[in-house]
Amino acid sequence: MIELSELRDAAQKAFPADKLASPRDAAWALVAEQGWLMITLPEDQGGLGLDRAAAVAIHFELGRVLSTAPLIPALLALEGIAASETLADRDGWIERICGGEYVPLNMLPGSVADQDGVLNGRLSGFFEADMAGHVLAGIAGQYLLIPTDAPGVTLHKRDLWDESRGLFDIELTGYQPDPALQVAAGAAAAALHDRISPLAQLAIAADSLGGANAALKMTVEYLKTRKQFDRPIAMFQALKHRCADLKTQIAAAEALLWQRAADPAASIADLGVAKALANECYLATTEEAIQLHGGIGLTEEHSCHMFMKRAMLNAQLSGNGDHWREAAGRQALAAYA
Amino acid sequence: MSDATDLTAFRAEVRAWLSANAPKGWREAYQAMSHAEFAQAQRDWFNALVKGGYAIPHWPKEWPGGGRSLAEQKVLYEEIAAADCPRLLLSFVTTYHAAATLMECGSDWQKQRYLPAILEGEFWCQGFSEPGAGSDLASLKCKAERRGDVYVVNGQKVWSTMAQYADKCMLLVRTSSDGPKQAGITFLIMDMKAKGVTVKPISQIQGDEEYCEIFLDDVEVPVADRIGEENAGWAVTSATLSAERGLTLMELSYRMRGALSRIAGLIRQNGREDDRGILRDFGQLVARADSACAIADRFLENRMQDIERVGDASIVKNTYSRVLREYSLLGLRLGGMHEQYRHPITFGDLNTGNWMADFMNSYAWTIAAGSEEVQRNIIAERMLDMQREPKGWVL
Repeated sequence: MIELSELRDAAQKAFPADKLASPRDAAWALVAEQGWLMITLPEDQGGLGLDRAAAVAIHFELGRVLSTAPLIPALLALEGIAASETLADRDGWIERICGGEYVPLNMLPGSVADQDGVLNGRLSGFFEADMAGHVLAGIAGQYLLIPTDAPGVTLHKRDLWDESRGLFDIELTGYQPDPALQVAAGAAAAALHDRISPLAQLAIAADSLGGANAALKMTVEYLKTRKQFDRPIAMFQALKHRCADLKTQIAAAEALLWQRAADPAASIADLGVAKALANECYLATTEEAIQLHGGIGLTEEHSCHMFMKRAMLNAQLSGNGDHWREAAGRQALAAYA
Repeated sequence: MSDATDLTAFRAEVRAWLSANAPKGWREAYQAMSHAEFAQAQRDWFNALVKGGYAIPHWPKEWPGGGRSLAEQKVLYEEIAAADCPRLLLSFVTTYHAAATLMECGSDWQKQRYLPAILEGEFWCQGFSEPGAGSDLASLKCKAERRGDVYVVNGQKVWSTMAQYADKCMLLVRTSSDGPKQAGITFLIMDMKAKGVTVKPISQIQGDEEYCEIFLDDVEVPVADRIGEENAGWAVTSATLSAERGLTLMELSYRMRGALSRIAGLIRQNGREDDRGILRDFGQLVARADSACAIADRFLENRMQDIERVGDASIVKNTYSRVLREYSLLGLRLGGMHEQYRHPITFGDLNTGNWMADFMNSYAWTIAAGSEEVQRNIIAERMLDMQREPKGWVL
């Protein structure tokens, strides 16, 4: 059994803290080489068979370095593909993905009309789709693998504030799905959604808290070296207290994340609201990070803004905080009926 | 494996004992009581726990009910919280702070004299803070002069929990003004019935009297009741203050988690089950309360594995105390005008559903036992390694 701390050490070695948002293609190759694509895949399907806390540990470390490698959508897609009962050559897909072929799941909703099996509309939220031969599209009622170069399929790169990631829409015009590429439909699709969605919450929460930790660390380092009034400004209690509050907030959200990652009974609302707390910390930390860095925090050259932009985007993925807080509120209310 | 089985068995044993012995209907009873009756009810509950063997799980195993592992202690407090038993407010300082101080730093005579008496119902209070020495405890001024076999003490102490019912006091006094302020402090055991001791309860903003002022006027304390050497009391103090690490906050966090049912009840009562704003705020509070439980749990697990870091306890405390405030504020919002009328308060509990009282009482945790601000300094300076202000700065 691989310990979480070993995984984290390995990740920190592969992605050192001082190399933020390193070039994507090399980062992706490294992620594949480390075997992280097969981390939670069951052993009988050729994976490492680790629990979801292991994936959380990796996402946490990749969030810390603003990773450009899209491991989150790749692992979510793999989870869906590995559970498929209809996909032709499923094992071939699993093998290729574990070997580094990139297939992302969309992480934003889209609007697609299905007219007698012909699809028209636009899907959003495909990260780094330019390096994908296929994407896994969650469309109302089904999951389909779509070749990105098929007739009727057009990729549109969206201009994101977050420069650590590239996001694409896929436009479908009269696209005729290949039945052999259907991953799930009907009840199976609903079941797959229930299987993937918790992992998405955990992954984004982990990325957020990894990033929040790094942003706080960077800020504290800055305060400790920046001198004004003949002293490091870290000496000022007004600034200390703000950093201490961020540290406290992050530590609590992190404790909740690890606890829920290890709790198979945690509901989707439990995980979604843990993600909402994680996002809240990330936003609060990066908002403060810019302020506490002063002028330099407003410059493009400094990496402060990159954390803030990633935090802002994370808050929109797989259901926002309002949605999950409400869901958690309803769940708790029902529990005390 | 056998550990987990043992814990499960222990949990079942505690649960069975609590269901037979925990005070029933105490919330109602504690509301109608005088402070003296409250103290008596606390004594009765403590005595019951002593008899059951659950009052001093953290003491060494030669004591009846002692020698419990931290994991077992955690189980015990989880069950006490789940059974919604009264908190042990009166005996807390006694069984933790006084006992740890005696065990670690007391003389053999002091241990023999004072420890068994605790199990027979002798209660202790803490005489640390002074009007001029709060967060900066080491600046305390209460003065003791040695005259033969006694110290003669003069001065004032404040914020002494339940001192009006205490038999003994852990008293910090100044025996020297030379050198650093920490170097002139001595730790004494004072008999609260001694001549010259006057205790005055402090009326709090929510109508309780949990804390007292203690006035000391030529009080004689035998030298035999000094713990540690003269002027070496500061080191003894750290034994006192590190006596209880995390169990209380875990218990309180779980109690707060359980008390979320009160918020749910209010949401229904007000017909706001579909008010999305309220549902979001409730969902946020539930998650925050869960995170307070999670971090308190993690703290104890780290302690069990001996990987606790300086500052961890501060994070646990600041998390709990903030969430407690958030909890009472949401209750107040939902309670509306009804909460602006005075209702009887329940002594000794932080989540009573009397929302104004709970709100006011929540300051006990942001101010007492090292204020939120002091904890922030610890987190910033000891965990984040932010530089301290230079010492010896004079205004």
